[in-house]
Amino acid sequence: MRPILLQGHERSLTQIKFNKEGDLLFSCSKDHVINVWFAHNGERLGTYEGHNGAVWTVDIDSQSRFMVTGSADNTLRLWSVQTGKCLYWWEFPTAVKRVAWSEDDQQVVCITEQRMGHSSAVRIFNIDREGDGTNQSKEPGSMFNPIGSKATLCSFAHVPNLILMGHESGKVALFDAKTGDEVLNNERAHMDVVTDLQLSPDRSYFITSSKDKTARLHETKTLTVLKTYTTETPLNSAAIAPGKPYVLLGGGQDAMSVTTTSARQGKFETRFWHKVFEEEVGRVKGHFGPVNTWILTAVFNSIAISPKGDSYASGGEDGFVRVHHFDESYFRAKPYGDLEIEE
Amino acid sequence: EDAAEESNISAELIAHRKRLVDEWNAWRKRVKAEVAEERKLLGEKVEPEAEKEAEEKEEIE
Repeated sequence: MRPILLQGHERSLTQIKFNKEGDLLFSCSKDHVINVWFAHNGERLGTYEGHNGAVWTVDIDSQSRFMVTGSADNTLRLWSVQTGKCLYWWEFPTAVKRVAWSEDDQQVVCITEQRMGHSSAVRIFNIDREGDGTNQSKEPGSMFNPIGSKATLCSFAHVPNLILMGHESGKVALFDAKTGDEVLNNERAHMDVVTDLQLSPDRSYFITSSKDKTARLHETKTLTVLKTYTTETPLNSAAIAPGKPYVLLGGGQDAMSVTTTSARQGKFETRFWHKVFEEEVGRVKGHFGPVNTWILTAVFNSIAISPKGDSYASGGEDGFVRVHHFDESYFRAKPYGDLEIEE
Repeated sequence: EDAAEESNISAELIAHRKRLVDEWNAWRKRVKAEVAEERKLLGEKVEPEAEKEAEEKEEIE
């Protein structure tokens, strides 16, 4: 499974996302731009320019028509996927750390950073999909300030008007989108910063990764922890594989600590874990080139799996996106026999 | 003896995994049904409102 290396960013990747069909891959970076690539061959289809700061987050609607992005320039932007034009933007007092579309493409949720006397805020915008998309309302449909520890991750939960959040303290929580009330929380979902949160296709469960070196699977409705995957490095990202009972975990030490540890200790891999058995089933090394030359090592900041389940991608601290197409052995492999596992 | 022990362990492990899969599948079935039901209820709540709005709009026009 040799990866395709996508070269087009000058700085560290922050988030990568496939569209619903899995034919396009979107990547955003500290270099202020968002790129879109053909997933099958890694060819760059286009670049979205306009942000004046690191782009922290990206999400694409289910029709691949509109894209939203959030940036350190304190703006949330709405783009036309096809033309590359920025259709509308909203400005806030602090950086936008995470954006996500609702399941019906009618709403966008975003979270802004807590900084310099500004508390973190969650805003939900109703997106006008009529016409060319430039006619948006400036004011959010609703807004609230999540209580307690700094919130950094947000998504729509399994039912409308419920927002799922991840916090720096390790907490995960559900908030009512309209009232801003915390409906339910798990204060000790993780022991350290929650770094990623990705939902299953029907949103009934989700995976989180954390600096506490674990990833966990949770039931959305109750926030019950279903499974725990314990590794030996801080994790930056985790994803649920469609069609196979696996979860993918990515991470590694940051560049600072790499210089003080040996290459052997610096583990830069995507790990495949069995979703149900909580056992590691495989690893993909985070380097590119001949096997015996360690050309690049990268901390993986973001992992995404194609909704088709035929490939996955990782976005690295080194500015490269790697797309891995699963080979036949991946689909054939049944490491634990013929047990049928429900999606 | 070793072989016997090994096959014992593997039989235990297989049984353990089978149990985990059964638990998972039972949970998936329950949750899928719950989510479908919740969405149906929400849909019923949302639709009459949407229809009402549409009617009002027509009157204005």
